[in-house]
Amino acid sequence: MSADYKPVSWTRSKAVYDSVMLVGIVLYLLAFLWIGPRLQSVTLPPDAPTMAMKAYGSCAFLMLTLVLCIGPLARLDTRFLPLLYNRRHLGVMTCAVAAGHLFAVLDWHFAYSPTPPLAALLGADTAFIPFGIFAFLVLLAMACTSHDFWLVFLGPPVWKALHMAVYAAYAAVVVHIGFGALQDARNPTLAIVVMLCTATVCALHLAAARREHRRDTSLATPAPEPPWLVAGRADDIAENRAIVVRPADGEAVAIFRHQGRLSAVSHVCAHQNGPLGEGRVVDGCITCPWHGYQYRLEDGTSPPPFTERIATYRLRLDGRLVLLDPRPNPPGTPVPPLELPA
Amino acid sequence: MSDDNFFIGWARRVPSGLAGFLAGVAFGLPVMAGVLALALSASIDDPGGGAFDWDAGEQTLRGIITPLPYPLLHLAPSVRHPAGHTVLLSGIGKNGADVDAALAGRMVEATGVMLKRGSIDMMQLGDDPGLRAAPGEAALPAPVQLGRWRLVGEICDGKCWTGAMRPGSGIAHQACAELCLAGGLPPVLVTTSPVEGSTFLLLADADGGPMPAALRPLVGARLVLEGAVERRGDLLVLRLAPAGVHPL
Ligand code: HEM
Ligand code: FES
Repeated sequence: MSADYKPVSWTRSKAVYDSVMLVGIVLYLLAFLWIGPRLQSVTLPPDAPTMAMKAYGSCAFLMLTLVLCIGPLARLDTRFLPLLYNRRHLGVMTCAVAAGHLFAVLDWHFAYSPTPPLAALLGADTAFIPFGIFAFLVLLAMACTSHDFWLVFLGPPVWKALHMAVYAAYAAVVVHIGFGALQDARNPTLAIVVMLCTATVCALHLAAARREHRRDTSLATPAPEPPWLVAGRADDIAENRAIVVRPADGEAVAIFRHQGRLSAVSHVCAHQNGPLGEGRVVDGCITCPWHGYQYRLEDGTSPPPFTERIATYRLRLDGRLVLLDPRPNPPGTPVPPLELPA
Repeated sequence: MSDDNFFIGWARRVPSGLAGFLAGVAFGLPVMAGVLALALSASIDDPGGGAFDWDAGEQTLRGIITPLPYPLLHLAPSVRHPAGHTVLLSGIGKNGADVDAALAGRMVEATGVMLKRGSIDMMQLGDDPGLRAAPGEAALPAPVQLGRWRLVGEICDGKCWTGAMRPGSGIAHQACAELCLAGGLPPVLVTTSPVEGSTFLLLADADGGPMPAALRPLVGARLVLEGAVERRGDLLVLRLAPAGVHPL
């Protein structure tokens, strides 16, 4: 969490995560550039810079595919949440590998000419290169603004919009490959890999969206006295867990149970809109399933030295039924937890 | 999901219920990366057998030089080339050969490194100086006219195709080829089926001058081309008819 901004607040999980990704990248490049060429059936092997272009380009494409699969995978199966935890490092690494691709291209196709490489790149009137440039600029912008500092500086809506552009970048890369390398390819392997990747990204997003749609359309029923809503039965909330209540209008609300008391807070994490209601109470604090930001049950405020705040809500009991007032209190407003009768 | 597999990134321990799953992912992802890399790398298309002949070092050839449509060196008949041999010339990098107008049609000595692909030879001229006037008779046999042809193929830059790059043709290489052509390197047509025994023709405009610049963006694409074919030594030249180039 953010008491101040450090370049990276390292944790053991992040170190392991980054190591696994780096091992994957190194293995990929070794297999592509060192072992693969021994299996090629060619008159003479492709030259080293072309091999480097292809190795880095395809590696960046596969990494971007993985980046885009992690979100829906984690929504469909919570065991994938740890992959989401440090996804931004994966994004930065993807940008670095794509930069390797760009430099290999600049240093070969756009070198040795009286025209300077960058001028030649921007002046190229090939159909597929502008799509590659667009995708790279998006990756670069995302990598440069991936730090939480930028999230706060730009504000969540701008930051989120910028990071949604990754989908445009992915589409652009698919076009880049389709209008470029695939125009020449006689062997279908690259085409098959690109199609499988694109199909997987689409299928996972559709599956996750369908599941979310089913959940989002199950709205809370109004109680006889407006504005109160029937949130559910107190006994249905497991210890240290939450149920999520979706009012007809307004944000979803998470109602947590901890030591025989109930507290209602926003379902939306102040960090990156993570689904707080899918989190847990750990050490007496609500803990976000995405990056582990924590909030106190009684006022929706992160414990010191942290300063994040989320909206709190009022609750009351009607027999064993829990009723919720769906109007949010300003973030950080203390609300005494609701005691459940023993 | 039981409580003992709630993952908290900053926690020191991974929950026991998740450890096995995450170990599988940590092992499986790099293995999958390796397998995909092998599949993609091993299946790369054959880029052909063109290459620089660095091993032979700089060579010196004697012949008659003609500047149009692009500088060519015509070698006298020999045992290997009974009809004489026509060598394409280039400068260093993406630059055409720089030929002093005073040398046109004269006997010269050319020094440089050879590029070879099949029976096609190109010499990348060295720069101190690559071409020198040489004594000797300068008489060239007249080009042999082979009539009008309509051909299917791809315009390439003659240097990359001959071996400066592997692959040195196609759409993926298009921007590079355009820079080469802009630098004065000779455009060539690589046909899908042979013309008089060759799939390789040097391109010229209708009057025998350099290919019109407007055709450069078509490099790398599959085209239908019409024009007059002539043989100069052992090299075919296609003199493109005006408006004689169309996408396939
Ligand atoms: C910065 C601008 C970019 C330029 C100038 C560029 C240029 C190129 C060129 C010239 C090729 C053809 C190489 C060949 O097949 O021999 C190519 C292929 C490719 N590029 Fe890019 N690219 C750019 C950005 C990207 C990005 C951002 C990605 C992915 C994230 C990417 C992924 C690929 C892939 C997968 C191929 C096909 C490789 C293969 O043939 O196996 N490119 N690119
Ligand atoms: S901790 Fe990042 S979204 Fe909640």
